[in-house]
Amino acid sequence: MQYAIETISLTKVFSDLWGRAKVFAVNDLNLQIRYNEVFGLLGPNGSGKTTTLKMLLGLLYPTKGRAVVLGGDSTDPKISARIGFMPEESYLYQYLTARETLDFYGRLFALPAKVRRMRIESLLDMVGLRAAANRAVGTFSKGMARRIGLAQALINDPDLLILDEPTTGLDPLGTRQIKDLILQLAKRGKTILLCSHLLADVEDVCDRIAILYGGQIQSEGRVRELLVQTGKTQITTGRLSDRAVERIRQIVEDEHCECMVTSPMEKLESFFIRAVASAEDKAQPTSGVVGTAQISDFLAPPAAEALLDKLVSSAESQTPAQEQTTEQVKAPEPPKAATDERLLRKLTKPIETPPEKPPAETAPVTPTAEPDRDEQTILDQLTGRSESENKNPESDRTKQEESGDA
Amino acid sequence: MRNIWAVAINTVKQAVRMKIAAVFIVLLVVLLPAMGFSTTGDGTLKGRLQTFVSYGLSLTSFLLCLLTIVASIYSVTGDIKHRQIYTVLTKPIRRFELLLGKLAGITLLNVVLLALFSAVIYSITIYMPRFVQTSEDELQQVNNEFFTARAGLVPAEPQVADEVDAVYEKLRQSGQLTEVFRGMSPAEIKKRLTKRKKLEKRAAAVGQELVWEFENVKPLDPNQSLFIRFKYDVSVTPPDLQVYGQWFAGDIRPLKYGQPMVTGLYESARKDVIRTFHEIEVPGQVIAQDGYLAVGFFNPPLNRTVVIFPLDEGLEVLYEAGTFTTNYIRAVLLIFLRLVVLAALGVLASTFLSFPVALLVCLVIFFTANFSGFVLESFDYLSENLTSVYRYTLKPLIRLLPQFDKFNPTRYLVGARLVSWSVVAKAAGLMILVKALLAMLLALVIFSRHEIAKITA
Repeated sequence: MQYAIETISLTKVFSDLWGRAKVFAVNDLNLQIRYNEVFGLLGPNGSGKTTTLKMLLGLLYPTKGRAVVLGGDSTDPKISARIGFMPEESYLYQYLTARETLDFYGRLFALPAKVRRMRIESLLDMVGLRAAANRAVGTFSKGMARRIGLAQALINDPDLLILDEPTTGLDPLGTRQIKDLILQLAKRGKTILLCSHLLADVEDVCDRIAILYGGQIQSEGRVRELLVQTGKTQITTGRLSDRAVERIRQIVEDEHCECMVTSPMEKLESFFIRAVASAEDKAQPTSGVVGTAQISDFLAPPAAEALLDKLVSSAESQTPAQEQTTEQVKAPEPPKAATDERLLRKLTKPIETPPEKPPAETAPVTPTAEPDRDEQTILDQLTGRSESENKNPESDRTKQEESGDA
Repeated sequence: MRNIWAVAINTVKQAVRMKIAAVFIVLLVVLLPAMGFSTTGDGTLKGRLQTFVSYGLSLTSFLLCLLTIVASIYSVTGDIKHRQIYTVLTKPIRRFELLLGKLAGITLLNVVLLALFSAVIYSITIYMPRFVQTSEDELQQVNNEFFTARAGLVPAEPQVADEVDAVYEKLRQSGQLTEVFRGMSPAEIKKRLTKRKKLEKRAAAVGQELVWEFENVKPLDPNQSLFIRFKYDVSVTPPDLQVYGQWFAGDIRPLKYGQPMVTGLYESARKDVIRTFHEIEVPGQVIAQDGYLAVGFFNPPLNRTVVIFPLDEGLEVLYEAGTFTTNYIRAVLLIFLRLVVLAALGVLASTFLSFPVALLVCLVIFFTANFSGFVLESFDYLSENLTSVYRYTLKPLIRLLPQFDKFNPTRYLVGARLVSWSVVAKAAGLMILVKALLAMLLALVIFSRHEIAKITA
């Protein structure tokens, strides 16, 4: 029981009609994924990632070896009740509405009607599909279908979340949202296994990765340890004068090193999110998805943490959002996440929140209502042009630091 | 159970929203009332009612059978093909629950649709006499011969095996066997001899008498008449195509033992056309307390021919044993049973076949099942010269085919014949407990071994 997922020389051979071995899709794979770990399975197309997932989930039977999931067999209802799975594409019943889809899956988990309704509404809010809740899933765009796919994976509040290519088909907002969600879920004690070939996504969220090729692990380890370039040093500062740059160059040369001086580039992702945010500010109409970074309440904050949240929020009711972001221990770039999260929230703001909310009413009891009020102040700050200009370079700078190879 | 129900409801939604069911519903909604107005049968009210009930129920049954096949196969193969099954089976649901849920969903849909359409047919049938101009006689006839459920008793098959063996042996010893039956196998010869012997037992020479005894005659109402239905065949055709007959009915057991009669003996002398059906109305009082009844026929010397009652349908005693309504419900139940079998078959086929192939297989089985009697007979005929290999391999498999013609509900209703509960129970036992259950068990075995995910590498 010390691993959430463990495979013991897991092998899958696809044979032809006559039983002759054709392809070793997965070859003698030994994986160990600890509880509360975000694990990324990487690899090019056809490297055996999805086959591995399918064996873990009992959709394929291993030719040899064994897969232990949450201490048992994933086809055992007791175990599968604790697993959430989002397949590589959203395989949904086209004729059901979004709400019915979630209801159907909720029933399979034997959730009582009340809990089910509560979770469905909460998840619809979370994936930003409340407005489309009564539309048949068949009429959804790919991205919207993906969001329902995500919501169905979370309906049982799983301990283990298995995501197959979680960000394909999503716009940058959705991608960002999924990444934030993964981090928040990890913070809440979930184990997450994701497989992807989008390296940027994996790099941002995973604690540990394994690179698969030809059904075998080629490389495995902690992301930071694998990527850090110990032979280089990076210093990021605010704008410097030419004189200062010259002096630094001098110092570096004294150390017998070479240095390169450039202005850091902003990541396209951050730029995109900012652009959409400013469009939202101007209240341009859209028929698309409404994104939110708000996680559903039921996704089990550990009891102690919930209590803590409550206490903290009532004590310093002015800054619960701040508290939430700084607590992200696993997030590789805490300050940046803070900014982006606020931006994301701001995007959803005009639709999600009633315009006037008496703050006194919500302040003492519900921690979830708190961010609303806080966001109002952040929103004010962000809409003030000078404020936002101050903030964004800062986040870019930290980002540069993080990637470590400028 | 909860999982099965969730899948069942989802299956119904699928059939309804994918408009699979809609096509069939529209067809029936248009066709049924149209048929109600357009069918005339042989021009009489009875003929009209018979035609409508027969066509209406047959059409409903046929379309619902097709719907069941298509919907059950699509519901499983669609899930596999479009991979919704990935997200479903990774939830805490057992594979057998998924299959049972599919079966339950299709069955639920069938219950609703069958109830709806049989109610429509029933209403049109019941109200039809009011909208058609008829005479009192015709109404009376319809009430006696259509809006009722009559049980039919046929005489027990005479045991002739010993006699046949004796004759066969005699022929063999006298060396006539090869002479009379040239080039026939012993089994074939015996078959012919048996038929001949049986006919002998149903033939009355001039001045001779035939008596048939029945047990368990239990009419709904003891005061109601019962009917002797018969058809004459003759050895020498009379010029006016008619023969005389002296009939009696009652409890003759006291006569056998020389005791006084308890119930009255009904007697009737008549002259009837040969080779068509006739009915003699007999008061119900002639039936003994314990349900015993004897029917006798005397061939009077006025005739100059042997009178024969053909083997299958030459003689029958009919009595009212139920109402039209309850009979109709039981007939509809028979249709329901075949739908369940087809749904199970569809689920079975789709666990290992793709949609078009499964559809083809099920349609072939469905159409074969409608002629199962013919199919079985022809195989039996062929098998006479085949070895025991056939008997222990192919034959049991063929017997496993559903036999829809054996329990054909319209045949019962048209003849106003009672669909007894024992018939329904027998059909249910054969179709549900044996065939549907076997199909589902096989489906579960195949499905639980099946690797759900397609090979992608």
